[in-house]
Amino acid sequence: MIEKTIRCPSCKNQLTINGNPGDKIQIICPSCNSKGVFTFPHEESFLSESNPIQVLNLTKKFNNFIAVNNISFSVKAGEIFGFLGPNGAGKTTTMKAILSLINTNSGQIKINGISIHKDPKVAHKYVGYLPERIAFYDNLTALQNMYFYADMKNTPKGECKPLLDEMGLGGALDKKVGKFSKGMQQRLGMACALIGSPPILVLDEPSGGLDPRGVALIRKKIREMKSKGTTVFLSSHILSEIQEVCDRVGIIDKGVLVAQDSVSKLSEKLKLKPKITIELEQISNEVVEAVKKVQGVEKVDVKGKNIDIICDPKSKSKVILAVEKAGGSVINIQTKEPSLEEVFLKVTGE
Amino acid sequence: MNTTFEKILKNPVSIIARKEIMDNVRNFWIILITIIFAILTVAMSAFGAYFSEGWQDLGMTIALMMSIVQLLVPIIALMLGYAAIVGEIEKGSMNTLVSLPVKRIEIILGKFLGLGIVLTFSIVVGFGIAGIIIGIMVPDVNYIEYLIFIAATVLVGLVYLNVALFFSTLFKKRSTALGGAIFLWFFFNMILPVILMGIAFAGAAFSDILEGTVPEWYYGIQLINPMSVYSALVTLNVEGVLSSASGAVQIQYPSFYTTWLMVLILFVWIVGFLLLSYQRFNKKDI
Repeated sequence: MIEKTIRCPSCKNQLTINGNPGDKIQIICPSCNSKGVFTFPHEESFLSESNPIQVLNLTKKFNNFIAVNNISFSVKAGEIFGFLGPNGAGKTTTMKAILSLINTNSGQIKINGISIHKDPKVAHKYVGYLPERIAFYDNLTALQNMYFYADMKNTPKGECKPLLDEMGLGGALDKKVGKFSKGMQQRLGMACALIGSPPILVLDEPSGGLDPRGVALIRKKIREMKSKGTTVFLSSHILSEIQEVCDRVGIIDKGVLVAQDSVSKLSEKLKLKPKITIELEQISNEVVEAVKKVQGVEKVDVKGKNIDIICDPKSKSKVILAVEKAGGSVINIQTKEPSLEEVFLKVTGE
Repeated sequence: MNTTFEKILKNPVSIIARKEIMDNVRNFWIILITIIFAILTVAMSAFGAYFSEGWQDLGMTIALMMSIVQLLVPIIALMLGYAAIVGEIEKGSMNTLVSLPVKRIEIILGKFLGLGIVLTFSIVVGFGIAGIIIGIMVPDVNYIEYLIFIAATVLVGLVYLNVALFFSTLFKKRSTALGGAIFLWFFFNMILPVILMGIAFAGAAFSDILEGTVPEWYYGIQLINPMSVYSALVTLNVEGVLSSASGAVQIQYPSFYTTWLMVLILFVWIVGFLLLSYQRFNKKDI
């Protein structure tokens, strides 16, 4: 039995209802007497596993080239897992293997505990997928394409128009997809991935080909899905995007998974140091020399009235003390934690 | 709605088939070839009037139409099928399709069903309209024979459709699949008949062949060509075709040439290539 809180579309009154997956329930709003029907999501809308994506010892070769070499990782329920790597590192191959788009040489992949090799049809019921290279049926309109995917996912067609509206395609419902721009196709792809509110989203470069407004929309949607408890497996070239939305990241390089954790823990492991920028009223040689003598300080750069210092997080207070002792008058202090870009570059050796 | 009917409509095979129909129903070439079927059939019957005593009946028209069918039906079938799989892979839409809750066999069956319906519709409408017009102009038309002709044409069309579907799973590029389909059409229509004829001349006396007494083994090896099977199926069932051939080499099929054998062979081609397409598609990386 599931408990669901819904809002009356007429008077916005909140109602709590109970039912089983797939149940259709007649509702009369106690406040305005509006009538309606609510369909409880199917079982595929819920995850039973704490790690709904599990990849174990996955290897994929293309002739003699090893695209993915014995990688293992799992994605926790409700988290956003960012998958990074240089071009040709094996990101898309891994994503395709997870969706059984390609045959693998060895390894196991489970979606919500279901083997993708044994029962791909059932495993796919839990997943919404946005491929890197998105394409549709050009002779059909946006709505006809959406209806096709809704039918295939056994989802009511009523979901399609609101989803297209949300993705900013409300004005192009009846336009043939062949006339869509790359950005519009990407938005349509995202709308298709969201049909049936799948509990797992696999998004391969979701911001590709989008204008800044489209990028913001996609990010907003990803955060919205996370707040609803959706598990997101996301690959992107835009490292700031990954750092902004992901709970954990996995970094793949030359087919090998070289790191996986949260960005802060990876920084710790890699001993990456934060950058402290101290703005002073006036910079003197005494101040710079005093900072350089502090234990744990790695690098000091002077830029106008600012001193950029790379040091151990523990040395920060000692640095400020040394500046003040040397007669420096501090206006402002900013600390920048190591970025994902630094982690990425260090891990991939670039 | 009836539950069984609802289940059929919600089946992925039927959903993919409906999508294929929607995607192809406005295909310019399909419409054009349907119109050509109708015009040519009516024209064959009407122009026959110049050389004999009026509009030709359906039996005679079928005899005249068979060579046109052998040329056009494979083209329309190959055109429909060659890009069905490779086209979607090349474009990128197959990524999304395979990631949906669907088995690969259901994708193949859905494509076959949808494209098969489009092909059948084109043949039935094209020849159907012509049949009605000829029926108005000619008294006592044998519609049963005409229906057998249409059914045989649909069957041979489905053979070529599945061969094209197989080519579509075999190659990595749409252009290669198209080249393969064109070669196949050329092979069955031009090369294979010449090879078989060569074998016949090598194995039998030239004078015997001219007299129409072709050895049985020659008829046997003819059955590897679906177009020969189609010709035999129509000739065995449509009286007008036999009588029209009376002026030329007399056709004397051996006793094992039966309607059921011909239908069986065409079905084996259809099912065989459907299975090959599935087997190939199942192993394909998208």
